[in-house]
Amino acid sequence: MTQPPKLARKILEWFAAAAFVEDMLGDLDELYFIHLKTKSTAVAKLLYWRGAMSLLFSYALKKRKAKASLGLYSSSISMGLLRNYFKVAVRSLYQHKYFTILNAFGLAVGMSISLLLLSLISYVQTYDDFHTNRESIYTIISERTEGVEQLAWALAPHVLADKLSENSNVKAVVRINSYFREEVKLPQGLIPLRGYYVEPNFLDVFTYQVTQGNARATLSQPNHIVITESAALKIFNTTHVLGKTLELNTGGLVVVGAVMKDHPINSHFDFELLASFASLPQPQASISDQWTYFDFQYLYVLLEQTASVSDFQSYLDKISDDTYAKLPVKVAFQAQHLNDIALGPDLRMAIGPKWEASGMIVFAVIAAMILLPACFNYTNISIARALKRAKEIGLRKTLGGVKFQVFFQFITETVVVTFIAFIGALVLFYFMRTEFQKMLVASNALDLSLTVRMACYFLLFALGTGLVAGIFPALYFGGLNPIQALKNKVHKGSSAMRVRKVLTVFQFILSFGFILSLVVFNRQYQYSLNFNFGFAKENIVNVALQGTAPHLVKNEFSKLAPVQSVAMSSQVMGLGYYNTWIKDSENDSTEVAHMYVDDNYIPLFGLTLIAGTNFTAEAGLVEKFIIVNEAFVNEYKIATPVEAIGKTYNVEGSELQVIGVVKNFHFAPLRYPIKKFFFRNNPAKFTYAHLKVSTADAFTMFTDFETHWNNLNPEQKVAASFFEDDLNDGYNHYVVLLKIIGFLGLLALTISVLGLLGMVVYSAETKVKEISIRKVFGASVLNLNYMLSKEYLKLIVWAVGISAPVTAYLIYLVLPHLQYYSTTVSLWDVVISTAILLGLAMLTVWSQTNKVAMANPADTLRSE
Amino acid sequence: MKTYLGELEELVLLTIAALGEEAYGVSIQQDLETRCNRNISIGALHSTITRLEEKGFLKSWLGGATQERGGRSKRFYEITQAGKKAVAEAKSMRDELWTLSKVKLSVK
Repeated sequence: MTQPPKLARKILEWFAAAAFVEDMLGDLDELYFIHLKTKSTAVAKLLYWRGAMSLLFSYALKKRKAKASLGLYSSSISMGLLRNYFKVAVRSLYQHKYFTILNAFGLAVGMSISLLLLSLISYVQTYDDFHTNRESIYTIISERTEGVEQLAWALAPHVLADKLSENSNVKAVVRINSYFREEVKLPQGLIPLRGYYVEPNFLDVFTYQVTQGNARATLSQPNHIVITESAALKIFNTTHVLGKTLELNTGGLVVVGAVMKDHPINSHFDFELLASFASLPQPQASISDQWTYFDFQYLYVLLEQTASVSDFQSYLDKISDDTYAKLPVKVAFQAQHLNDIALGPDLRMAIGPKWEASGMIVFAVIAAMILLPACFNYTNISIARALKRAKEIGLRKTLGGVKFQVFFQFITETVVVTFIAFIGALVLFYFMRTEFQKMLVASNALDLSLTVRMACYFLLFALGTGLVAGIFPALYFGGLNPIQALKNKVHKGSSAMRVRKVLTVFQFILSFGFILSLVVFNRQYQYSLNFNFGFAKENIVNVALQGTAPHLVKNEFSKLAPVQSVAMSSQVMGLGYYNTWIKDSENDSTEVAHMYVDDNYIPLFGLTLIAGTNFTAEAGLVEKFIIVNEAFVNEYKIATPVEAIGKTYNVEGSELQVIGVVKNFHFAPLRYPIKKFFFRNNPAKFTYAHLKVSTADAFTMFTDFETHWNNLNPEQKVAASFFEDDLNDGYNHYVVLLKIIGFLGLLALTISVLGLLGMVVYSAETKVKEISIRKVFGASVLNLNYMLSKEYLKLIVWAVGISAPVTAYLIYLVLPHLQYYSTTVSLWDVVISTAILLGLAMLTVWSQTNKVAMANPADTLRSE
Repeated sequence: MKTYLGELEELVLLTIAALGEEAYGVSIQQDLETRCNRNISIGALHSTITRLEEKGFLKSWLGGATQERGGRSKRFYEITQAGKKAVAEAKSMRDELWTLSKVKLSVK
């Protein structure tokens, strides 16, 4: 007689595991033999399979399995067991205080940066949540393609608005123009104001609180504004400003028609006042019908609640296809939801504060680079101490603990440590918060105080960190063989050893990277400060004219004793430059940098004329001459500077003649290469006076400047500063960069050193007897130190060996992007960084090994 | 009525009651097949029995291993007091509906 199918039975038995299924299998067998009497073997077998499968997925088996797992040898986690794990974890952590503190401190440092990121993200997610219509508001963004250049802008042409209103899904279209450049004339000086030109429906679509006046009526009249309370306080010292007028710097008057509460700071708009669209100044108003030029123009739409975004998007696509078919510029429009504006893709000319996704990703990578090594430390130290815990695990397993339970026990322990660390990280977070906020560009649109959302993120993050740090040791301990564990045979020669080494090397690679970057960027900063720009920068004071007539300033300041000579120009050299278009008789017009100066400028700044002559003191009313630089001569392919003299170029419609050639100098910041440049002479364009001074008492000199300035222009404050300081300020971003790298490097280094310390302490602890015996046999302290530390020395050499070329290459790639004239990574940088890292690491190692090596062998050996 | 009793559950309970001492998986299934013309899989039957046990309508014990079962024991079932009450309630509810029904219900 044939037997029932074995495989089906095996599957069922395997699936049932500990559950009791004897009666079920018996039933299946019995049914099989009943079927055999009336049916063929194949059908009976098939029916057996069907029965087995029906049992496999049955409610009955599920229940029996659940019941079985609650039996004597339970493999699930009950509340009581969880309490036990927690208790064991706390006891074990308390017993090994030193390691617990090391671990918790390292993790706290590692988590602190991530907390900053999380708090930032959690706040940015609340952006624009105060608008009641927020779910249905979209902005139109545009991707503009001109030739090969393709750029994404937050702008959209206002002429598109009419087409959008034709769509039945569009409830309202809001046009905003951000070209508000007005300053208010007040007795204490000019006060700039931030504002938008908007239409009355701006207030229908977006939610703002108007406290006084009729805002809608205000926004439909020219030269009327809605002002925010803080701006009202700033200008009038009161919020009851209805009907008052403001005098603008441009000469116009505007009437305050309504007052509104300040908008919440978590807004992607940033304004102090709203001006009516009818007040839009001429050049902006006249371009509002153009499809290709639409700077400062923004469009927002309110869609019907039932509207589909994809339909609206295809409507936009159609418009852009139709409109730009014949134009040289192609623009593709896209609807972007209000919630995606603040934390969205990188766009040019965003209307207000914006947190670019790319920046967030860089930040996240940095946070991970700090956090992960801290987690590795925990992993490292836990596995290194496996020996101490092996007996406990062996016993647990012998008494019926299964893999999952041991795994869960160690995860619990890690989570406990992580939460201790989390408290430390919170403390660090509170200290770092303000400093961090200062470094951000849009910091005034940010509030990092604790919210419920943030707290939830923090807790989830702490839990997640615990899991990441604990998963490896937990898996390792879970998989221990109880017999080996009880015989103390784990750990030696296991793969865990290699993992530990790899993790340590990884940490030091990061630390070394930070140190090397710090050294190189510091050198780059010094390099920029001490750079020979090709002009004199010492003892020159720049004074902004602020509208005062140049010759008056010159006369007034020449009277002062320290002032040796005075020159005039249109800008401060070396900080930035302006371009214009010029054309010679043969070639097309090209873009050239230029600057307006007087005849004193070239001698005052110590520039060298290599051919021709300087401007003369008697500048005519009409501009006639220019002085070019060497690069100009070269790029126009003129053989010698002398030959350039007398050539004429068409500049902005007038023919100007070259009368001199100056030696190349850095008219632009070091980020830019020296290119074609020329000086021109037009007193009407002067905005700066440059004074060559010689004095020992700078303070008295500046007070004198102030009094003399007040004779000329009492309405404004004097704005004078040393040229050298202005120039150095231009490289201040390096100081910020150095601060950031230094701080991150400090964190990374702290974490690596803590990790190293943990390993050394542990290995020294386990080798106490060996060292004592060696000592008895005559090993010297130095010998012992070397013996104990050579393993770590090797790891650090590995780390430097890997990190040095990688970091050096990365910096080599980055430097020219930061600055055209830049230093390179030298061997010395690597040597210095290696010395710093090795020094710190060896200090850490020897502080521990020395203690063990110095111990009296009699003390350690006596106890056995 | 305190507990809802499904139609299949009622049938299984009654079948177990009818089988008396010989109520176990196979016999119940065969009986349901021949008497009630209900062909249900062994998995579905065990699930129903499990539900009835959870409701406290059945109790069970092991025993009676035979050759054709590969020497494996059977699980016998017996209807409990609560089970008897539940089927009785179900029956009385139906009887009530029968007497109340306005339409003449008769089977020719």
